[in-house]
Amino acid sequence: MTTHSPDAPQVTGPNLGGRDPSELSREELATLGMKLDDVEIVHATERWPVPGTRAERRAERGVAAWFALAAAGGLAFLAVFLFWPWEYVPPGSSEHWTYLWYTPLLGITLGTAVFAVGIGVFAYAKRFLPEETAVQRRHDGPSTDLDRRTLAAQVLQSAQTSGIGRRKVITRTAGLGAGVLGLGVGVVAIGGLVRNPWRDGDASPLWVTGWAPTRPGEKVYLRRDTGDPLDVVRVRPEDLAAGSMETVFPFRETDREDEEALHAGLRRSDSPAMLIRLRPGTPTVQRKGFENFNYGDYWAYSKICTHLGCPTSLFEQRTNRILCPCHQSQFDATHYAKPIFGPATRALPQLPLDVDEEGYFIARSDFGEPIGPGFWERKS
Amino acid sequence: MTTSTIRTRYRGKLRRRLSGLLAIGIALMATGAMYAAAAPRPQTAAVAQDQAALARDGERLFNNHCISCHGANLQGVPDRGPSLIGVGEAAVYFQVSTGRMPAVRQEAQIERKPLKEFRHADGTEMAAEEAAEALGAFVQANGGGAELPQERGAALRGEDPARGGQLFRLNCASCHNFTGRGGALSSGKFAPNTDEASEEQIYAAMLAGPQSMPRFSDRQLTPEEKRDIVAYVKSVVGQKNSPGGYALGGFGPISEALAVFLVGLGALIGVALWIGAKA
Repeated sequence: MTTHSPDAPQVTGPNLGGRDPSELSREELATLGMKLDDVEIVHATERWPVPGTRAERRAERGVAAWFALAAAGGLAFLAVFLFWPWEYVPPGSSEHWTYLWYTPLLGITLGTAVFAVGIGVFAYAKRFLPEETAVQRRHDGPSTDLDRRTLAAQVLQSAQTSGIGRRKVITRTAGLGAGVLGLGVGVVAIGGLVRNPWRDGDASPLWVTGWAPTRPGEKVYLRRDTGDPLDVVRVRPEDLAAGSMETVFPFRETDREDEEALHAGLRRSDSPAMLIRLRPGTPTVQRKGFENFNYGDYWAYSKICTHLGCPTSLFEQRTNRILCPCHQSQFDATHYAKPIFGPATRALPQLPLDVDEEGYFIARSDFGEPIGPGFWERKS
Repeated sequence: MTTSTIRTRYRGKLRRRLSGLLAIGIALMATGAMYAAAAPRPQTAAVAQDQAALARDGERLFNNHCISCHGANLQGVPDRGPSLIGVGEAAVYFQVSTGRMPAVRQEAQIERKPLKEFRHADGTEMAAEEAAEALGAFVQANGGGAELPQERGAALRGEDPARGGQLFRLNCASCHNFTGRGGALSSGKFAPNTDEASEEQIYAAMLAGPQSMPRFSDRQLTPEEKRDIVAYVKSVVGQKNSPGGYALGGFGPISEALAVFLVGLGALIGVALWIGAKA
């Protein structure tokens, strides 16, 4: 063991040629590392044995061009993102095309940049990395019996030397600390999901909707959504033509100056109701216990399907059927929205309508029963 | 008589004649102006006359094409066709201009079709829109009901398609889909695709509520809101307004996910195979 030679591999350990590792050159260390990993280079040739040829420079320019293209694409992406007019322009004017190209241009420029970086790296590897084939020996089966025994002994020994087994107070306080920390994390993670849905008694969220009066004698008007939450338009009977349907939301005079309440009134998911005006002379059936919930030809039903809670706003004016688009439940608007087809089993809850002295529609109370799909506590 | 006196007399005569001409001219112009200001506007008379002529033409068409189902006095015929009293010009315009009426037979849904059966009084072919205007005028004159605005075509598009889009999603999208692709209703009926509908047909449909569609009166959706909805529908026709470049049918996640799955995944597998083959 006097000379360092790659042709004479060592079985017992690396061949340092009797030198200290700090004396080895970087190249020697790299070779040594490969040998330690059982990697053997079978074949290696330089791509460009003679440096500086015209072909090499051409290859270099080719790779550089890809990276330059990536830079140009990235710059173009930034420019489009910052300066392109992105706001909607209706078709018909020439600016519509400029608007239409905004998203595709973002995609094209960013895509070009990412693609060009990838191709550049790929091209560099193909043209400049030495062409080599390396073989690494695979270790079959488990480690040797001795290795496994020594490892197990090392683990147990370290536990023994730490003395933790003897120090009961530390073991217990450590367990306590870690346990309490875990409990805290657990409470934060799932505590928000644990709630008592019945805390408010009869006013619990599943029993009432946004139509329930919040104080005695309060008028709850029917309001239409005009696309602007701050534009309050209350519904009057003459607003609807015979054979029409409108989605209405609750509105209280106390909400008028309260921007947040105006938004919330239109967004609350249990509130939307369908106000339907039947054609005059349509034979109707009132529900037992909910008589006079309609106001003449005007009937208001919850828009939330009693099957799984989809919006059932497909109203067929000619057949007076209300359809749910999710599972094809159908309700008969002339027959207190009784289900006549599909998986829904309960009628749509009805809103008791009235008209106040100013001629605006008001809801006399909340829906006649809880809205939406069934739940365990519901008896009907 | 000296030459000077003759000249003076001649000049005086000329001045009198000129001033007389001027006075008559001013008087004529003043009369003309007063007449123009006071006289009834001739255009209005012409339009009224046109409307009457249109209604007469509509009556002729009605007697040829509609009377057997809707009756001689628009009262309807049991088991054939409903009464047209009160449906108004908008309903007639929608049904006839889209070719839905005259209907071929009673069925779940009467669909849009090309119409070539209308003729002018002189026997030449009449476009469905023209016949629709004439029949609309006739039904409006005799039965009354919802009227269409005077404008036609792009003039019916509102200024704010974004608000139109919001109103469309609130009032129309449940049946017609959020870009107007249409969708299924009960028992073989369906809400049609809005691509083929013209501006006035969309407007008329909102006013009249044809077939299964509910009606939207001008108090429920104001004329401005209706125009915005028309503008929105017209802005999403076909491949318009698809920022991705292709709308994939415009009905949401099913076709989009399928395209991503087939095209995207296919491309990735192709690239992987190509890299593998190169290595």
